[in-house]
Amino acid sequence: MKKLFVLLALGCFSAPILASEAKLENIQVDTGLPAIKRGANTLMDVCHGCHTLKYISYRNLTSLGIDKKKIDEWRGDLPLDSSLTGLMSDDAAMDSFGKLPPDLSLMAKARDGEENYVYSYLVGYYVTPEGVTGNHIFPETKMPDPLGISDTTDAAKRSEIQGTARDVVSFLVWAADPHEQERHRMGHYVIVYLFILTALLYGVKKQIWSRLK
Amino acid sequence: MKGKIIKWIDQRFPLTSFVKSELTGYPTPRNLSYWWNFGFLAGFVLVLQIATGIFLAMHYKADISLSFDSIQHIMRDVNYGWLLRYMHSTGASAFFLVIYIHMARTLYYGSYRAPRELMWWTGQGLLLLLMATAFMGYLLPWGQMSFWGATVITNLFRATPYFGDQIVIWLRGDYTVGDATLTRFFALHYLFPFLIIAGVVVHLVALHTVRSSNPSGIDLADKDNIPFHPYFTSKDFYGLGVFLIVYSIFVFYFPNLLIEPANNIPANPLQTPTHIVPEWYFLPFYAILRSVPNLVGGVVAMALSVMVFSFMPYLDRSRIPGGAQYRPWYRAMFYFFVIDMMVLGYVGYVPPTDESIVAGQIATFFYFALFTSLPLISKKEEQWLVKRGLPPAVEALIAGEAREKGKLPYRRRKGDIS
Repeated sequence: MKKLFVLLALGCFSAPILASEAKLENIQVDTGLPAIKRGANTLMDVCHGCHTLKYISYRNLTSLGIDKKKIDEWRGDLPLDSSLTGLMSDDAAMDSFGKLPPDLSLMAKARDGEENYVYSYLVGYYVTPEGVTGNHIFPETKMPDPLGISDTTDAAKRSEIQGTARDVVSFLVWAADPHEQERHRMGHYVIVYLFILTALLYGVKKQIWSRLK
Repeated sequence: MKGKIIKWIDQRFPLTSFVKSELTGYPTPRNLSYWWNFGFLAGFVLVLQIATGIFLAMHYKADISLSFDSIQHIMRDVNYGWLLRYMHSTGASAFFLVIYIHMARTLYYGSYRAPRELMWWTGQGLLLLLMATAFMGYLLPWGQMSFWGATVITNLFRATPYFGDQIVIWLRGDYTVGDATLTRFFALHYLFPFLIIAGVVVHLVALHTVRSSNPSGIDLADKDNIPFHPYFTSKDFYGLGVFLIVYSIFVFYFPNLLIEPANNIPANPLQTPTHIVPEWYFLPFYAILRSVPNLVGGVVAMALSVMVFSFMPYLDRSRIPGGAQYRPWYRAMFYFFVIDMMVLGYVGYVPPTDESIVAGQIATFFYFALFTSLPLISKKEEQWLVKRGLPPAVEALIAGEAREKGKLPYRRRKGDIS
């Protein structure tokens, strides 16, 4: 009875707690190389103007398989081992936004909702009837609508922007954990190996215990 | 040649006899269920944590300006550094999971009862060491949750009478959690696992003195004990295989499931996260802390909630053997306790609201009510069971084992059932 009461109480209380969180749009991240490359393009054109990616170097982009010429264009005089330091100085950022734009290396893992948060945030811009731009996911944001979705009304145009946002998320997911795909590949072997080993160990155990009367 | 070397050693050190009496030939109850695998698994995870931890320490830098970067260096640049780090971070959760199941088994089967009190108490000491080690290890990545978790928990020592403020500064090495805190936590995080090893040795010496408990709850006669090797080595290794499958699924596919996203943001003393949560294994105790509105009361309640397990050998007054399976009232209390723990864990996880606080207070009340009512309930249950008669299976078992050994199987006290 007591059990039931606590469970019932919790059932009633948990609903409003969860409802207060902002609604994020869940996406299936495309982890394929073409999507990551497209995302890298957009990121270097749009985001890298202000944001850094301190744990990603130009060499990492080369080994990812991005065209060498393009990388040379992006890095200019910087060495290949330089990290993506952004193009805006800290002082200029403080002048424009009053705070430093966050580093993006781990952004796909650093917010509740992770990649879904980043996507929902990027496409979460809107314009009020008074002409003010806001964001549903992060209302206090200082970042101007980077992909221009807030003043786009054409449905085809909007879905194109959403596609671009997905690509950026694909790149950021790679940047946050570059070994993810290697990890999954290795995991397949490890799990198969362990299943066979465990089956054999079970056989050994059964055989040994069968000696007992 | 091999025989000669062994003989040479045996003349100087009891190698063969030790291995025979404590490992290969060690008599073990044949009726142990798979719930008895978790002690071995805990030992395995301890070794795994130490092994991965030593290699991580070779690449980690305990300095607030470098530590976050050094974790990313391990994750990105060190060969298989991501594997080491994910094995270690997942291993911490695996350790608590295994230990909590090990404790739940002890509670369910009454393995804490005489003569195994010292096993239970050394286990309690090991749990405290494990909690301290995990807490200090969590500061090392120097993320937002590391910093604020350590700030909140060290701050609790302010509740100490008279010296509260001084003790907090002494623990942190500074007025706030900072570089001095990080370096000392790193040093102690490296030391404590070796203290745990020493504690495990004491735990095992005690085990080999009193022998393993078993699901029947009475000490078995010699004919029902079988040598540890090969029976339990094979059983433990099979259990290890199953454990490794579950563990590897987390390491390779969901390693970030138990890492708070906020810990991927470097620590920032000027910005409090909207919601500070500890790791899952501390959540029930954290919920108890938050359920008491006053700091001192909350800290006392939380400390008691962990330490109250020690009193189990005295709180449980029943002499009915066999743990919970022959004791319906105690069994109901056990399952209620497990559910109450989960409720507390949930309450500890969600942001505090009026409703969650009330739910936490109700669950906290039941948590302590279960322990404090146990002496009375267990006594009444014993009387009820005796009046009703023990299940025939238990009666037969007790009689059979007693005949075998020529004495009563459990400690006699005044008023014992004869």
